Amino acid sequence: MKIKSIYLFTLPALLVMLIFYLYPIALSFKMSFTDFTGVGIANDVGWKNYDRIFSRQRYLDAIQITFTFSFIVVIIQNLIGLFFAALLFKMPTIRNFCRAALFTPSMMSFVIVGYVWQFIYSPYNGGLNSLLGSIGLESLQHTWLGDPSTALFAITATHIWMFVGYSCAIFLAGFANIPADIQEAGRLDGASAWQRFRYLELPLLAPSITINIVLSTIGTLKTFELPFIMTGGGPVGSTRTLSLEIMQNLFGQYKFGFAGALSIVMLIVIIFIVFFLNRFLKNKEDNL
Amino acid sequence: MKKTKLTGVALSLMIASSAIAKNVTLEVTAWKGNEAEPAGFGTLLPKFHAENPNIKIELNYISRGDTNVVLPPRLQSGKNAPDIMMVDMPLVKVWGDAGLLKDLGTDSSWFNNVLPSIKNSLISNNALYVQPIEVVGLGNFVNLDLLAKAGISEPPKTIDDLLTACQKLDAKGIVPMLFSAGLSGSMFVVANGIDLSDAEPWALGSGQSKFADNQGFNKSLDITRQLIDANCFDPKLQAGLDPWTTSLTEFRSGNVAMLPQGAWNMKAFDEQEGLNYVFTSLPSNQTTGIALDTFAMGWAISSTTKHSEEAQLFLDFFSRDENLAILLKEDSGYSPYSNGTSGLSSLAQGYNDARDAGNIVMWPVYMNHWPATMEAATIDGVASLLLKPSMDNEDILEVWDEVVEDSL
Repeated sequence: MKIKSIYLFTLPALLVMLIFYLYPIALSFKMSFTDFTGVGIANDVGWKNYDRIFSRQRYLDAIQITFTFSFIVVIIQNLIGLFFAALLFKMPTIRNFCRAALFTPSMMSFVIVGYVWQFIYSPYNGGLNSLLGSIGLESLQHTWLGDPSTALFAITATHIWMFVGYSCAIFLAGFANIPADIQEAGRLDGASAWQRFRYLELPLLAPSITINIVLSTIGTLKTFELPFIMTGGGPVGSTRTLSLEIMQNLFGQYKFGFAGALSIVMLIVIIFIVFFLNRFLKNKEDNL
Repeated sequence: MKKTKLTGVALSLMIASSAIAKNVTLEVTAWKGNEAEPAGFGTLLPKFHAENPNIKIELNYISRGDTNVVLPPRLQSGKNAPDIMMVDMPLVKVWGDAGLLKDLGTDSSWFNNVLPSIKNSLISNNALYVQPIEVVGLGNFVNLDLLAKAGISEPPKTIDDLLTACQKLDAKGIVPMLFSAGLSGSMFVVANGIDLSDAEPWALGSGQSKFADNQGFNKSLDITRQLIDANCFDPKLQAGLDPWTTSLTEFRSGNVAMLPQGAWNMKAFDEQEGLNYVFTSLPSNQTTGIALDTFAMGWAISSTTKHSEEAQLFLDFFSRDENLAILLKEDSGYSPYSNGTSGLSSLAQGYNDARDAGNIVMWPVYMNHWPATMEAATIDGVASLLLKPSMDNEDILEVWDEVVEDSL
């Protein structure tokens, strides 16, 4: 009886989840089998939308681009974030100021960041090319967003710049949780700074690593803002992520049914990746 | 008996007059009328109210992007729809086909006066859901001072003139033109493709005719290669060039001689000190060049409005040339009606000449001649060509056919 009444207290939360999370997903799933245009009647089209996703190279490319973007950002953003956190942990006098400075870009609007970096990458008098020219590296000047081989990496760099402070803040919180006596014991045993970081701090940062990797993976798999603003998915679809494809189908082409099918594919991909990633990282934590 | 009749008549008149004098508020949504794009609404709405004192207009600014998100749920609910909405042709197709817009009827006084180039395309499923209020020109902005430096006295109108101009400008170290795949390049390829095509644009957009087999579009891509060979632009720089920021800044700064873009930029260019420019037609095989017109916007009435008659009065107000001219002047647009006043200054004479000669191509996506998905496909196709000019036309055009097939 007592256990039953405890479960009753979860009902409001379950109800909220049902209405605001599960119901929209079920609705999207239902919509993905129709030709709904956002208004009017939705006609049943069976598996046609899914068939189109897996039979057209364009959508498979979008999935691959999303994975590439996500992989690069998750790895580099977290490595740089960890580097800054380790550095700032050792410098308490400037830690708070630097943490705030690093965190600021992540609080800025994607629109502003996108446009500013678009000007920096501009082939005509853009900041990056001008800088390279002024230090005698003209040979490295490039059409960063205009070349399909560099456009995705240019956007990736912007995303990393924007969110590296976010990762750093989480790692710094992890460093703060490391007991001082463990550090002290390491020093007394004669461990070098690198050895203390590698064998003491890094294993104890495992929960922070898990949070950072899971959050940045989910965030990057869903990304569309920077590609939308900086390149519109071009050139030649080289920066067209799955989320951007969904946006363009929804609000540019009014293909709500098809966008629904793409959303379901994306949801399955994200659940699959995050589930196994989380399991892998948790196992690592438990084995420490 | 007589007294009773008189009382009855008097009562009827009172009821009728009170009905006429009843105050009505019309909710109008538009992506014009804010501070950035006033479009003369500050003058027009008080004028309308002065003429119709019992009708109050509640104008709600909703950006074009937000229109896609905000209005469909309201329309779909059937109870909370605005009375009048600013629409473009893609919206007319989606909302009209779903029965959410009122059929305005082709017997309207203004319909017979609509420009022939757009008249038939306004009819969707045997119904007329939109009253056009603006046509926008997409043409070639030309910096006359830079042309003069290269010894060129007239803006190029034909392809041969353009190739010669590019060579002369390039020889003087002046960047001849910007050709972003995102707009300028797509405009040029589409306009010339349709102009040279033996198939109608709606035949290509419905899959009845194939892009891959189309002589016009094959030729248009070949002309683009000729422009590359004549050093009109660096193709690799154009593939990812932003047409809305960098391109406009470069032209406004006097760094480039020619820029295919929309007439709506004229107001901003007019304010640029020292910029001596004209807005002219896109170079083509026609001696006047081509005017690439596009349907910018119109008014539609919700099928569930309770104020149909008053909404009709609002539309009639905008169909009158003296009112529409105020909007068009502030918005640098063309009237969608024959003999309507143009909102463009004399700097657009070259573009006007092409229109007057009938050398008009309508931007097919915004006339619903091509599916909306073709916009991105065109941009990708032109970008592919710019990145690899040696690629086969077939490789580009077959993708366009595939996109059309997917939309059917």
